[in-house]
Amino acid sequence: MTRPVPLADSTTSRAAPSARAPLPAGEALLEARALTVGYDGIPILPALTLTVGAGELWAVIGPNGAGKSTFVRTALGLTPPVAGEIARRPGLRLAYVPQQSALDTIFPVSVLDFVLMGLQGTGNVTLTSPGAYLGRARAALAEAGAEPLARRQLRDLSGGQRQRVLMARALATDADLIFLDEPTAALDAAAELEVLALIQRLRDRRGAAVVMVTHLVEDGLERADHALLLDRDHRVAFAATATAMRSAPDFEHIYARFVGRGTAR
Amino acid sequence: MSDTGATWHELFANLGIFRDAILAGGLAGALLGFLGVHVVLRRMVFASSAIAQAAALGVALSFWLPAVIDPLGHAAGHAAGPGGHVIPSPLFQPVLWAVAASLLATLVFIANPTRLHLTRESILGFVFLASGAGAVIIGDRITQDAHDLTAILFGSAVVVQTTDLYLIGAATVILLGGHLVLWRALLFVGYDPLGAEVQGMPVRALNGFLFVSVGLAVALCTRALGALPVFAFSVLPAMTALALTSRIGIVFVLATVFGAFSGVAGFAVSFRGELPVGATETGMAVALLTAALAWRYVAARRDLRRARQTATSEAKGSNDA
Repeated sequence: MTRPVPLADSTTSRAAPSARAPLPAGEALLEARALTVGYDGIPILPALTLTVGAGELWAVIGPNGAGKSTFVRTALGLTPPVAGEIARRPGLRLAYVPQQSALDTIFPVSVLDFVLMGLQGTGNVTLTSPGAYLGRARAALAEAGAEPLARRQLRDLSGGQRQRVLMARALATDADLIFLDEPTAALDAAAELEVLALIQRLRDRRGAAVVMVTHLVEDGLERADHALLLDRDHRVAFAATATAMRSAPDFEHIYARFVGRGTAR
Repeated sequence: MSDTGATWHELFANLGIFRDAILAGGLAGALLGFLGVHVVLRRMVFASSAIAQAAALGVALSFWLPAVIDPLGHAAGHAAGPGGHVIPSPLFQPVLWAVAASLLATLVFIANPTRLHLTRESILGFVFLASGAGAVIIGDRITQDAHDLTAILFGSAVVVQTTDLYLIGAATVILLGGHLVLWRALLFVGYDPLGAEVQGMPVRALNGFLFVSVGLAVALCTRALGALPVFAFSVLPAMTALALTSRIGIVFVLATVFGAFSGVAGFAVSFRGELPVGATETGMAVALLTAALAWRYVAARRDLRRARQTATSEAKGSNDA
């Protein structure tokens, strides 16, 4: 059994260096205006309007097949909107943390190599001299409490350890807006708390906004300060603060019975 | 050659004759061994087989079409003897048709068939079967060149043309050079395509480079060595390396070395034992993989035994305490 490695205290440990000043809290990073998402010009959800501000934590909630992935792909700029528009702050740096299950275990990728991937991208596609970036990668691992794992294979780690490494890569990217796909799925309570602490760190460091995709509705509402409820079957795309979401008619109608609060029981 | 097969001395004595074939085998093994790591990790093993089969069809077409267009001239060429078999136009150079057919097969592989509710594997199966059937049917129509086609399909060509060696050499330098620069980028794109795209990696361009380089390498090597060893080199050395180590950089190095070794040693063994060249090169790669898997099995058993012993002694110690 693996023991949880304590997260580094940001006041005493090496933090992955950020080259830029913190973003002003609440500054609009991503704005969706009457945005309709779908495939091949066919909408799958009603139009939605929302603004993701610096430092905010959003939960994108809904059952499997609700359209969460389609929304995320559109927000990330990988799929064009069917209608409406989506505006990103000029120079916005995006990062995406995949679900653990999306990473093929056939690949022999070390923890350090995985975090180094977070430093690749526009302007640094090849990473031909990784030595120059090792310091940043190791600092990100230390901040996530995963530095002792640096030489291990990602596929050999426990679920909690692996999620910490995924979060370390997000820290290394120095992104303004980070999308996390099911970050707490299949984690035990201790590992889940560690991941939530890391999400908080992503927000604290330079005011990054975090958008967390989850099918665990109650978990998402508990942790986030804003929520986006999507449900393709019930034709719902509704954004609100987490508190307002709980009392919204659409939410009550669809989810109250699952979160033990409701009218539908 | 002696009654019991050729000797090593005879191989060295005739090295001038077989040098091109040995070099071609080594270079092809190295190039395909390196590319094979991406092929195996991305679970597109069948792609290289389908592309090699398409290359063989391309070569068959390059023999057949001149006979269809100018049957009298083609027959006269054969009647003049081995030296008289003249390819009527540069357009019908087998290597051109092999490359064209391979790139066409590669395009099919790049295409996304999900809109047709089909998997990529099924499309590859289609390419493999259509190419294989086409090569055999066309081979039946060109009896004079059938031995060439058999050599291409099964890799029984003992001698490699100098032009083919130069092409393989150039492809090895250019493609391996490109892949040495881009291996981390290609690894990222293969492992976490969505994350790579979000971070601004040119995913489509990188995938295009990989697929086109696999298509080109397979086409050029198939023309010189045959479809069987080309398929083997693009799969088995990478599997061997992956069985031996988990360090990705070492995997690429080992796969390249094992591929080159299979090509060179396979040719030497085929000469010594008077065995078919392509099958022996394939057999050499199979032998390396079998040895690696056996070593891996033994090492896993040893580790398990040690873990049990440690657990037993720890339990004993706590009981004594």
